[in-house]
Amino acid sequence: MSWELAAWLMLGGSTVLLFLGLPVAFSFLVINLVGAWLFLGGEAGLTQIVRNSVVSVASFSLTPIPLFVLMGEVLFHTGLAVKVIDGVERLIRQVPGRLAVVAVVAGTVFSAISGSTIATTAMLGSLMLPVMLSRGYHPTMATGPLMAIGAVDMLIPPSALTVLLGSLSGISISKLLIGGVLPGLILSVAFILYIVARVKMNPRLAPASAFVEYEGWEKLRPFFQYVLPLVSIFVVVVASMSAGWATPTESAAIGALFTMVLALAYRALSFGNLLKALRGTAGISGMILFIIVGATTFSQILSFSGASNGLVEIIAGLGLPPGAVIIAMMLLLVFLGLFVEQVSMMMITLPIYMPLVQKYGVDPVWFGVMFLICMQLGLLLPPHGLLLMTMKGVSPPEVRMGHIFRAVVPYIAMSLLLLLLVFFVPAVAVWLPKVLV
Amino acid sequence: MDAAARAFGRLLEALALAGCAVILAMTLMICADVLLRNVRIVPGVYGLAWANEISEAMLYLVTLLTAPWLLRQGQHIRVDILLRAVPSRLGWVFEWIADALGFACCVAIACFGVVATMKSYESGALSIKTLVTPEWWMQAPLPVAFLLLSVEMAFRMRRLYLGERAPRDDAVSTG
Repeated sequence: MSWELAAWLMLGGSTVLLFLGLPVAFSFLVINLVGAWLFLGGEAGLTQIVRNSVVSVASFSLTPIPLFVLMGEVLFHTGLAVKVIDGVERLIRQVPGRLAVVAVVAGTVFSAISGSTIATTAMLGSLMLPVMLSRGYHPTMATGPLMAIGAVDMLIPPSALTVLLGSLSGISISKLLIGGVLPGLILSVAFILYIVARVKMNPRLAPASAFVEYEGWEKLRPFFQYVLPLVSIFVVVVASMSAGWATPTESAAIGALFTMVLALAYRALSFGNLLKALRGTAGISGMILFIIVGATTFSQILSFSGASNGLVEIIAGLGLPPGAVIIAMMLLLVFLGLFVEQVSMMMITLPIYMPLVQKYGVDPVWFGVMFLICMQLGLLLPPHGLLLMTMKGVSPPEVRMGHIFRAVVPYIAMSLLLLLLVFFVPAVAVWLPKVLV
Repeated sequence: MDAAARAFGRLLEALALAGCAVILAMTLMICADVLLRNVRIVPGVYGLAWANEISEAMLYLVTLLTAPWLLRQGQHIRVDILLRAVPSRLGWVFEWIADALGFACCVAIACFGVVATMKSYESGALSIKTLVTPEWWMQAPLPVAFLLLSVEMAFRMRRLYLGERAPRDDAVSTG
């Protein structure tokens, strides 16, 4: 069978199954069975994919996925995440759009201690949205910053999806995790500047309201009592990794245990909420890992059939400069982000993208960070962006889907600008990993 | 049949709970390894050499223990854009096609899983890493998990038959 037919069968077949509504993992498994029969030698091939399935997830580099998710789930279910908002709010003085600014700062802090974008958006949305709406904030000004900062969670470590990207693409996981820090912080600062400028231009979007201005120790107490100790989780994860005491995988375990110890110290950890956190972790990570069972073998069969190589040769044969190929790859990712979720984006594109990255000698960390920004954009893109749905889920009825779609537009534009910045100034992505790892 | 579905659901819940215990045990084991490697608190013990290998096996077990439970919960993510775009009745037909393919796939993998495990058992193949173990130890849980997935796929089709003639509300995102 020609590689062209193999490519149509594997890539086209899996896409058809995905759109038929078959869960992502099963779509890959079905195509793997067909592919193994045709390309791996019939029955022997089918037995081989069973062996491959075992090896695909029995991998130490994937261990951070449940561990990072566990950190976020523990903070969410013990209620410690809420304390971050209180601590940040007391520190921020009267600025235009103060509550939106508080949401962005608190979201950035929470991003550094949680590995789940949904947890961040749902937590901020359920706590801050009612307050902002009751103080007269326009729905677009109230929802936009919450969704945008939820997406930034994916860039700032710990992030389960970053670990998955590193593991599937072969890019250094620790470099990728640290590479996301600076772009994530740039976005957070850009969001704050945008909010302040927008509210200055149109104060009706976020009317200034009275708030309790604490003085002295009372102003700083929640910061020192909760925010600083919780941020130390981030420090522990990054420090243990960059000091060489622990591998990225091990630092995730240390972070998860440290989170539980902190929750215990605050007397917030009970058997009930630990179990809830573990169930949430088992659900999210079990689902991601089961997709990997199918997707790893899918990539191998695609490669073995000659389809990966054939597609790479065709693209390389076009004679385009590496920059143009990278731009085309990113545009395709943004386009995919309109329809499919993040794990599927990786599974569909990486088997073709990574050989191209190697062929053109592109810095994999630089490429990986741009890939992350595209996935982060996918979380925000209408009509199916995950965080748009999450926000609608926690919003009162007066916030309509139209508000949410309009609210997210400026933040999508800022994310696209960040993508361009990283493209033209690769140091934004690769400088910190070079210094720290 | 309802009683059988409920009983099977309880079995899947119990397996998911076991998956939770494995995650907690894995966290503690990796931390113990790092501690023993960097701090000499036990004379003569410099880390747990087998920790990496055991945690790999634990990750694999978590995947298999939770997969059938996630299917029951509708938490295996999917793309439902087409199902929502077409008329409900057609979306329901697509659900049937998807379920039938999923069922056939799970049965096939369960069968070939048994074949692979038996072959490995008969050949006496060993996995030689830090620990030396029979290869079939790791392969045996796979057909069991896919058998459970096949049964759940059948219950899923029954629910589809009994339910509204429209697409389901399964999860569409990762989080």
